[in-house]
Parts: sequence; C-alpha cells; structure tokens
Amino acid sequence: MRRSTSRRPWLAEGPWAWLAAGGVALSLLMVIALLVLLAGRGLAHFWPQDIEAVTLEDGAQFAGQVVREQGLPGEVDGRERLYRTGNRDLQGAQWRWVDVADIDTRATPEDLVIVERRRWGPFIGRVVALEGPETRWTVEDGDTLWQQLDERLNRVSQLRSERDVVRTQYLEPLAERLANGEKVADDEDELQALKARIVNLQEAMQRDRVVLESLEGQQLTLTLDALIDVTRPNAMSLPAKLSSWGHNVWRFLSEGPRDANTAGGIWPAIFGTIMMVLLMSVLVMPFGVLAAIYLNEIAPQGRLTRLVRIGVRNLAGVPSIVYGVFGLGVFVYGIGGTLDSLFFADELPSPTFGTGGLLWASLTLALLTLPVVIVATEEGLARIPDAQREGALALGATRSEALRRVVLPMAVPAMLTGLILAVARAAGEVAPLMLVGVTKLASQVPVDGTFPFIHLERKFMHLGYHIFDAGFHGGDVESAMPLVYATALLLVLVILVLNLTAIFLRHTIRTRHRVRTH
Amino acid sequence: MIDRYPPPAPVRRRFRDLRDRLFTLLVGACGIGVILAVLAIGVFLFVEVVPLFGGDTPASETQATTEIDFESLWLPQQYPDYETPRYRWQANVLSEDDTPMFSLTPLAWGTLKAAAYALLFAIPLALGAAIHSACFMSRRLRHRLKPALELMEALPGVVIGFVAGLVLAPYVERHLVGALALVLILPLGLLVAGVVHSCLPATLARALSLSRAGLWLIPWLALLVALAMVMSPYLEVVWFGGDMRAWLEQQLGLDYAMRNAMIVGLAMGFAIIPTIYALAEEALSGVPDSLSEGAQALGASRWQTLWNVILPAASPGIFSAVMIGAGRAVGETMIVLMATGNTALMTLSPLDGMRSMAANIAIELPEAAAGGTHYRVLLLCAFLLFVFTFCVNTLAEIVRGRLSHRYRRLGGLA
Amino acid sequence: MLMADASPTPATLHEIVRDIPSTDRCFEIEDLTIAYGDKTALSGLSLHVPRHRVTAFIGPSGCGKSTLLRAFNRLHDLNEDVARQGRIVLEGQEIHAPEVDVADLRRRVGMVFQTPNPFPMSIYENVAFGLRLQAALPKRRRDEVIEWALESAALWDEVKHRLHESALLLSGGQQQRLVIARTLAVQPEVVLLDEPASALDPISTLKIEELIRNLKSHLTLVLVTHNMQQAARVSDYTAFLEEGELIEYGATDTVFTNPRLARTENYITGRTD
Repeated sequence: MRRSTSRRPWLAEGPWAWLAAGGVALSLLMVIALLVLLAGRGLAHFWPQDIEAVTLEDGAQFAGQVVREQGLPGEVDGRERLYRTGNRDLQGAQWRWVDVADIDTRATPEDLVIVERRRWGPFIGRVVALEGPETRWTVEDGDTLWQQLDERLNRVSQLRSERDVVRTQYLEPLAERLANGEKVADDEDELQALKARIVNLQEAMQRDRVVLESLEGQQLTLTLDALIDVTRPNAMSLPAKLSSWGHNVWRFLSEGPRDANTAGGIWPAIFGTIMMVLLMSVLVMPFGVLAAIYLNEIAPQGRLTRLVRIGVRNLAGVPSIVYGVFGLGVFVYGIGGTLDSLFFADELPSPTFGTGGLLWASLTLALLTLPVVIVATEEGLARIPDAQREGALALGATRSEALRRVVLPMAVPAMLTGLILAVARAAGEVAPLMLVGVTKLASQVPVDGTFPFIHLERKFMHLGYHIFDAGFHGGDVESAMPLVYATALLLVLVILVLNLTAIFLRHTIRTRHRVRTH
Repeated sequence: MIDRYPPPAPVRRRFRDLRDRLFTLLVGACGIGVILAVLAIGVFLFVEVVPLFGGDTPASETQATTEIDFESLWLPQQYPDYETPRYRWQANVLSEDDTPMFSLTPLAWGTLKAAAYALLFAIPLALGAAIHSACFMSRRLRHRLKPALELMEALPGVVIGFVAGLVLAPYVERHLVGALALVLILPLGLLVAGVVHSCLPATLARALSLSRAGLWLIPWLALLVALAMVMSPYLEVVWFGGDMRAWLEQQLGLDYAMRNAMIVGLAMGFAIIPTIYALAEEALSGVPDSLSEGAQALGASRWQTLWNVILPAASPGIFSAVMIGAGRAVGETMIVLMATGNTALMTLSPLDGMRSMAANIAIELPEAAAGGTHYRVLLLCAFLLFVFTFCVNTLAEIVRGRLSHRYRRLGGLA
Repeated sequence: MLMADASPTPATLHEIVRDIPSTDRCFEIEDLTIAYGDKTALSGLSLHVPRHRVTAFIGPSGCGKSTLLRAFNRLHDLNEDVARQGRIVLEGQEIHAPEVDVADLRRRVGMVFQTPNPFPMSIYENVAFGLRLQAALPKRRRDEVIEWALESAALWDEVKHRLHESALLLSGGQQQRLVIARTLAVQPEVVLLDEPASALDPISTLKIEELIRNLKSHLTLVLVTHNMQQAARVSDYTAFLEEGELIEYGATDTVFTNPRLARTENYITGRTD
C-alpha cells in the first residue's frame, strides 16, 4: 500500500482510527494506574512516616501522621487533611480530619514516638520515662533511654518466646495426656511446676514499665509486654528508615493478624493460600492430564469427542460461584455429611467434614481449574507433529510406549503452562471459597504437630478473602486499608509472576515447534 | 541380515501388548470419569432444583417451606405489607409471621443490569483496542501488547472489586462531575491528538506514528484524566451550583448511591475487556489478507478497508467475543459483591446499586439450611447462571468454529 | 490428455507378477482397496514386491503411492475412517490376521518419512529408542548395536564424538540418515522410504541414494519418489500408479526405456499433452 508522506490531510486515517487507538491507550492506562496504585499504597504503608506535631489556630495541639488530603465537599478552595493520631484509648478515635485553614504550625520534633501496642492500636506521643525495678531513665538521659528501651524490649520478646516454648512443647502435651487419663505418678507435680514457670515468666515480662504522654497531655503507663515496637520516625536517618521498612515488610509477611484484621501481618493467609493451591495442584494435575490424553490421543475423533471438547472448554466459562455451589452441595453436604455420619458420629451435631474445609476447597478449585489444565495440555498435545508419533510407532512401539516416551515428554511444558495458569486462577478465586471453607480468622492453621499433621477438615485463611473481609467487614476500614492494599499487591504480584511464567513457557514451546517443523 | 541380537521373544511382545491395553484402559476410564465428573455439575444442580417444583416438597424440619412455582418466582406477587403486587426478594425472615419473598426478577434484573453496564463500557474500548492492534499496529508491538492484556485478564476479581468499591467509588463520588466529563473529554482529546498529529513535522510524526499511538497516547490520556479531576470542583460550581448530587436529586429525581451501576460497569468492564479484546483481535487478524489487499488495491484507505471489508467478514467472531464477555460479566461475583450496595432494586439508573444472582448466592448460601426452600431457590439461581453461561459460550464457540472454517476456505490463516 | 490406449487389463498385470518367482516374494498384495471416508485412494491393486531388491513407486501426487506404502506397516490403523479390503501378505503371512502383533509387524517393516523426524533426544537415545523396546541388552552390547546401526547408515564417522548431543542439531541430511539408523537398529526385514530425500539438498540426496543401494544386500526396500532420475538410479523394479490404480510394473530398465503404455511414457518423460 502506498502512502504519500508529503501531503497528509487532517486526520488522515479518519477520526475512528484515533478513537480505536484510544481504546488500547485507555486499557493500558487503567492497568498501569491499578498496578501503580496498589504498589504505591501497598508499599508506602511500611515506610516509617514522619509524625507531625500540629498546633491549631485555637492553640490546641495534637500529633499524627498525614494520611491524605482532599478538597472539602462543595467548596472549590477548601481542603481538609486526614491525620492518623492513634491513641484510641485516650481520644476515642484514631483518625482526625482537620481543615487545612485551621492549622497554625506544623513541626516534626525528634522525640515523637509511635508505639505499636498489643491492644488499642498505636500510641503517638512522647516517652516520658522508662522504669526498671530499681532505676528510672527519663528523657534527660538522652540516648541511654532509647538503648535501655531497646534492650528491655528484646528481653521481653526473649521471655515471650521462652514462655511460648514451655507452653506449646511441654505444658499442652502434658495437659492433653492428663485429660486422656494416661496418668503417671509425678505428672500432676510436673504440671504444677510448668504452670508456675509460665507465671514466673509472665511476671518477669511485666517487670519494666514505660511512661508515655500524648501531646494533649494525657499520661499512660504501660508494662513492656504490652508493647510490640517503639519507633521515632522523625529521628531516623534514611538508611535507618529503609531498614525499618524492610523489617516491617518482613513482619507483615511473617506474622499473624491483630486487632480484627486491621493490623499485624498476613502469614496465616499466605500459608492457607499456599496449602490450598498445593493440594489443588496435586488433585488437578493427574486428572486433567489424563483427561486431555484421553481426549486427544485415545478417544475416537468423532462428533461426540468434538462435543465433549466444546463442553469442557465451555466449563472454563462457567461462573466460579457455580462451582462453589457444586462444592457445597456435593462435597460438603453430600460427601462430607456422609463421612461425618460414618466416622465422626460421636462428634455430631457439630460437623467435622460436613462443613467447609481445606479439602473441600481444594477439591472445588481443582474442579474449577480442570478445564484450564485440560485445554492447555490438549493444545500442547495437538501441537506435537504427528510425524513424532508415527516415527515411534514405525519403530515398533505400542501406542502407550509412543505416548509415554515421545509424546508426553514433549508435552511437559504445555502441562506446566496449564498448571501454572490453574494455580494463578485458583489463587485469585474467592467466590467459591466463601461457600466451601475459607474463614476470616483461623485459630489454627491446617498444619501442626499433632497427628495427622495436615488437617484437611479445618477452615483456613486466604489472601483473596482476607482482602474482601478486611476491606468490607472490618469496623475500622481506614486502618485496614493499608493492609488491604499490601495484601492485594502481594496477591497480584504472585498472580502476575505465575502468569508471566506461563506466557514465557508457552512462547518457548511455540518457537521450539516452529523451528523443528521448518 | 546378520542378527546383531536375538529377535524379541514372544513373551516380551505379549507383555508389551498387555501393558498397552492396560494403559489405554486406565487412561480411558480416568479420562471419561473426569469428564463425566466435570459435566456432572449441570446434572447435580438440575437434580437439586427439581424438588422445588415437584409439588410434594420434602419438608425440612428446620425451615418452613414456601410454595414455589413459576409465578411466584418471576411475576409480581401480593405481599402482606404492600398494597400492589410487586417483585421482592427477601429471603431472611425476622419473625415467625413473615413469609420469605422469593422473587428472582429483581436478581435477574440486577445481574443483567450489571452486565449491560459492563458491556457498555467494555465493548467500545475492547473493540477499539482490537481494531487498532489488528489493523494499525506493527506486528512486534502487537506481540508485546497481547501478554500485557493477558495479565490484565488474570487480575483477580477480588482486587478489582476492592479497588472499585473502596477506592474508586468514594473518589468518583467526590469527583462526579469530572468523572462524567471524561466521557466527553477523552474522545475529544483523542481527536485533538489526531489533528495535532497531522500538523506535526514529518520526522516527529513518524516517531509518534499511528501504529504506536497505543503507547504514546497513554501520557496524553493520563494528563486529560488528571485535568478533569482537578477541574471537577470548578465545573461543579459552574454547572451544578456546587453540588451535583443535590442537583441530580432536585432536577432529575435521581438518588446517588456511592456504589452504583456506573462503578460496577467500570470495574467489571475492566475485567472483561481483555476477554473481548483477545477474541475480537483473533477474529480481525484472521481475516485473509487477500480480502483486504483487494480493497486497498482499489484505493480504499485503511479505515475504509476495515469498515467495509474486514469488519463484516469478522463480525461473527466479534459477536462471539461479545457473547463470551457477556457470559463472564453475568457470572462475575466478587466485583459485583464489592462494588455495589447489594440492594435488590429494579431501576435502570446508573446511579443506583443492584444485587446480582451470583453475589446473592455468595451472601446467602452459607446461611441457608441445606435442603430448604431458600437453599433450593439459590441453587436454582446457580443453575440458571450455569445454563445461561453454558449456552452463551456454546453459541459463541460454534460461531467461532464456523468463522475459522470460512477463513480457511478463503485461504487465510485462521 | 490420455492417449487412446486401453487401460491395463488384469492379464498384463499377471504377466509382470509372474516375473518374480514365488520364493523371492517379500510382499504379496492382492486386490487391495483402500478408501478414506468416501474417497477411494487405492482400488483393486495387486502386486508383488521382490525380496532384497529396491522397488520404487512412482506416479503423480495423490495417485495413492504413499497410501500403499503406509498399508505395508498398517500405519493406517491409526486413522479411524480408513476402510480396507484385500490382502497384504508378508513372507507368507497375512498382516491383518488377528494373531499378528502390530507393534512387531512395524518393527519388521521399518519406515522412513518424507521430512526427517528425529525425536527431541540425543543422537544416542534416538537410535537406542527402538532397541530398548525390543530387547533388554546390556549396555556394552547396546553400544555395539548402535555403533553398527550408525555405521550402516553412514553416519558414525560424523557423529561418533557427539553421540550425546541433541539430534535436532544435526543437518537435514544427517537427521534423515539418523532416522535410517534408528530404523536399522531394530533389525527390520523391510524398510519403507516415503520420499526420503525430497526435503534434502542434492549432496545429501546422493548420500541417501548410495545408502539405499548398499542396504539392499540384506534388506528389502520400497521407495516412493517423485524424482524419476532417483527411481531410475536406485531401484530394481518400478511400479507406476495413477489415480489409485497400478498402471505398469516391471524391471526399472524396462519401465523407463521401453514402457508398455503411452500413459507411463508420458509421465516419465514429463509430457502432459
């Protein structure tokens, strides 16, 4: 086609061409915006943000971290700013909207601290003093105070882990033995000794106390075991902030949630998601591959097979909630209910398998992702040139030998692609899980030290459901939001990495076959 | 020939033959079993739903059963507290005297309304993108773009729903005028970009060619969006006396719900754009070159060729792309659950919320007693969703199969 | 179009068939008809293939020569809508008899395809593939057989130092010889060659042709080719097929220098009027 470049009329390709181009641009813009939003908000939450000491026009003072600023509704110029002020126990709320026009001065004094506590959310204010059993350090002691505080916080966390070890490894097994009636002569004494030891440890943890004061002037004395962390973001250098950021990210990934999912980490959700996806992969892979082999290699390629193939393909388009309904009706109520009445009759009416759990969720998702695996594997099998099969057969191989030794090894990348796509789909799927076993807060993870170690009947936490629950069911949405952003970012990252791997794999399969067939 | 090794013993041959038979049998049995299990979904739902209409419903002890028939599900009913017959869905009864109301019409309405708004948003964007990448984009860029949009498809619904419900919805509520203005600003901005492009000096025009417009338009559009948001409060003052929501209520009698059909349309549209795009692009780029070259040899511009030759040839494929997109929109659960208020309203207004069948199942099924009427009605919803999506997808698949057959006959690569 | 001469009658075919003494017949085909769905590919074909000779099938595209070749090792069994009538007898045994093990038949009747199709494994594993299926040999013996097979296919010297490299790295001609070596390793009695050199350059083609001539000392070879010169160069007997029927069959010299029918002559000389 010839195009003159010298004379280009206005809108040479017509207005519609530009609108069509806008379709691509706008779609990409939305994806980019979404990813940037998640990444920005999700990662910024862990950054130790400066604490502002704000003096208002009327002389009142408070301290807090700026969350965001927006225009006042119905006004063109007015702006308001949201501060996270903490101190829910002292002020009744930990958020404060302030009209920007009312602010007199803003400062970032270095002695302001943010204290993460086990109850009541964060405290923002100043440390007045640290009280040991004999000594007392005040702000006048300067760095000594902070050193002492660090040391003593470390001591408390050591004591805490010691206590946890005593409780889970000695006390609980012993108590269980006693409850089962397996009595040994000095067991009772040992139990008492262990209990006493735990009480001792707990008392030791409460030895030191810290005196805090909010900018409004209210004082608060806390024992150190009520604290998780004390940071002075205003006094931190950039490297210190970076390391604190890394530490916070790690804690988010490795700790459990606190304060009704509005604080803490998401480790149980990560663990639950991984467990479910693993179990699902184990279930979906052999069956999906077998069905694909049957459809592509063994079944007579007639009208019926074609219909079945279309049917299987279409099942990939059936809403996931329908699979959830199927899982609830067949797995949970049907099979689970039967199992309960056969093997767990003495536990009834409280259900063991007759309620949502890890096993049923994995089974449901396996069913949901079967079409994905079947379609991908079939595509891979169909791509293998017939010459390869005939080559093997011409050497005297039986059909199964040709399949096992030539065709299937060549189809492995395609199967892997299918598995990865299935995992990516399952990891992001929430709707069916709401019916078959996910829970907002699992008291026990599905794996522990008691027989049979993997508890398939237990409910579990899931990243996707965590997003839904923390964002929509939590009382304090404002404080849950940063965690939801971070969780969503993690989920999206996992899924994107999985999908990129699948795309890469598929690309290599295609180019490889193209080279071979010249 | 000199034997280098003894020929295979009959025993070995028989053993291999037996192994082959066993393997075939095993794979066959497993394959058929798996396929039957997957297809059993439809059968299960059907079997569970049938007792609903069977007349002698096996009454469960925990829940009173309500008479259910076609009329009570789909037609307006006379309920005790209302004067005129109406459609109501209220499954959970608070007191003994209340009867639950199982009208599926508002749920079906909500489902279709959400899907319709999603399609309204997604079709222009997805088809525009498909047309652009099939007809104007360079092959290399297209191969890069496809995986990017594939990744877009993989974004989990729960994340999209979260962003829509908790970030977008409050934001749009505060920048309503700006958001609505975008409907005008973006197309105009694109045309401006086209006009400016034709005035550019040749070197710059080549660098910013139409075939790469999908990329260099992004910052321009981002700028326009940002501008609209900044302008929003001023526009609101100028046009709507400072408060558009009050204006809407007074002038048009419309209530503004924060999580409304507009937001759902945006979010679910976002989710189905990649689906529609991928299939439509496949249909468009599958049109044999011989067709378009013929038209271009007659002097038609690229756009004329597209409009008169390629689009008609690919229209069945585009139709099936839209069908599959619609099927996905109808069944999507999390986005509707999170981006609407889940109120079972029956209005057309884009500013009202709705409750869709899928979201309704997700909300109510965990609490419905197994075997009861409520449970079975919810299963009926699932069955309807299943049948609907299955039929739509099958139709789309058949149309697509026919189309690729036709392309092959015309000599192109399907 | 065709000359006015009559189509060959059964009598003429029997004359040819009688040329090959019954003790020297490797394949005996009687009245073979093969149809794909409702399309007949071969109709009522009878012919005998002599042992330890090279027999070439020539004819225009779609004349059924590849179909015939694939009937020799029952590769059509894979395709469900293929219907067959008539007999194929290999060394006195009907190959469609129920007691015949198809896998073993295919071992005895090896096949080399148009495009080289080495498996995506090492050179060594390609040759060992069939061997491992047929016999559990100790590694030393297996290595010997593989060396012998590669030598017989005139490939050993080129690959002996890189036996464990991927077979896909070989050139097209080398790949085709590797496929031949792979076929030889399972000790076939017959090797079917389906246009084995059509995808190769002239030098590789010559190598393959030389190989074919060497192999006939202890193997029966059946060659399908489009290339008249190739058929004339390597084959002892030539069969000319057209539209699923056997038109002419005889010693290669006779068929090429003194064809009985004008149709044959037209095809061989490339005349199309």
